[in-house]
Amino acid sequence: MLFRISAVVVTLLASVTIASAHTPLCSCFDNGDNTITCEGGFSDGSSASGVAMHIQAANGKVLLEGKMNENSEFTFPKPQGDYVVAFDGGDGHQIKVPGNEIAK
Amino acid sequence: MKTKLITLLAGATVLCSAAVASAHFQMIYTPEMAIVKGGTIPLKLVFTHPFEAGHTMDMAKPEQFFVVSSRGENEPKRTDLLETIKPITWTSLTNSGKAWETSYQVRGGDHAFCLVPVPYLEKEEDAYIQQNTKVIVNVGGEPGSWNQPVGMAAEIVPMAKPYDRWTGNVFQGQVLFNGKPVPNAEVEIEFMNHKPQLESNSFAKEAEVVAPQDAYVLQTIFADANGVFTFGIPRAGWWGFAALGVDPEYKFQGKECSLDAVIWIQAKDMK
Repeated sequence: MLFRISAVVVTLLASVTIASAHTPLCSCFDNGDNTITCEGGFSDGSSASGVAMHIQAANGKVLLEGKMNENSEFTFPKPQGDYVVAFDGGDGHQIKVPGNEIAK
Repeated sequence: MKTKLITLLAGATVLCSAAVASAHFQMIYTPEMAIVKGGTIPLKLVFTHPFEAGHTMDMAKPEQFFVVSSRGENEPKRTDLLETIKPITWTSLTNSGKAWETSYQVRGGDHAFCLVPVPYLEKEEDAYIQQNTKVIVNVGGEPGSWNQPVGMAAEIVPMAKPYDRWTGNVFQGQVLFNGKPVPNAEVEIEFMNHKPQLESNSFAKEAEVVAPQDAYVLQTIFADANGVFTFGIPRAGWWGFAALGVDPEYKFQGKECSLDAVIWIQAKDMK
C-alpha cells in the first residue's frame, strides 16, 4: 500500500517536472499593413495551437479575443493607441507583450 | 646542383607546412546566432582561413544558397536566397578575395542558412575543394528543426543547438554523406580569431588569442563509428567545424575534389 502511494507521488512529481521544463514564448511583429502577427510556442518546440489570445487597451478593456491557429500564429488588426497582447497558456504560461515594443 | 635541389625541397617543405597550419573554412557570418527579437540580419559569405584571418579565396557565385526556417511543430519552409546575394570584396590580413553578401528578415524560430559553393580549384594541389556550409540562427528561443538534416550531400547535423552553447559546454555533431553517417570522419576545427567587421568587409587586425604552436591553430579530431564528434568549447566566440572529404571518390571536372561539410557554432560566457 505504502509502495503504491509512493509510486503515485513519484508519477505526480515527474509530470510536474515535465510541465515546468518548458516555458511559454510569444513574439509579435508589425506586418506593415496595419496588422500584427504574434507567434506563440514553448521552449521545447511544442505547439501553442489553440492557446487563448487577448488584446487589451491601456485601461484593461479587452479589445479582441482569439486563439493561436494551427501554425501557432495569431494575426489581428493593429489597434489605435496603446495596447497589450496577452498570450494565455494557463497558469504559469502567460505572457504580455506591450504594443509599443512590437517592431517590423 | 645538389645544393639547389635541397634549397628547392626546403622551399617546398615550407610551403607545405604553411598550407597545413591553417585550413580553408567557408564562412556564413552574421554577428549574432541567438537573436532576441526578429528583424533584418546581414549575411556575409567568405571563403577564408579564419584563425589567422589569412588568405581569402575568390568565391564564384555559389551553386546554392537557401534558408530552411522552422518554428515549433510547424512544417519547415525552404526559401531560395541565391538571387539576393551581391558580390563584395573581403579583405584579410594578407590579401583580398571575392565574397558575397545579402540580408534577410527573420522572425521567430530556427533559420538554417545553407551554402553549396562552386568547387574551388586549389592550384598548388591541382584539386578542388567544396565546403557545404550551415549556420543556424535562432530568434526568440523557440526551437524548430535545428537537429534535422537539410539534405545537402555533405552535411553536419548538430546534436546540440549551435546557438545556445555556454563556454565549457561540449558541442556534438554527426557527419553525413548523402544522409548516411560517415564513420571516423576527420573533423578540423578553427576559432574565428579575428572579429569580422561588417562595414569594411574585413577582419579586425587584432587577434583574440595567440596559438602557442601551429597544432593549436587548426585542431583535428575524428568522429566515432556513427560519424559523431564531440568538442569541448574552451572560449566564447565562433568555432568552425569542417568534416573533410566525406566522399573519397568525388571528382569535379576530372580532378579530385574534397567534399567537406562545415558548421559554425557561437558560444557565450556565463556572466
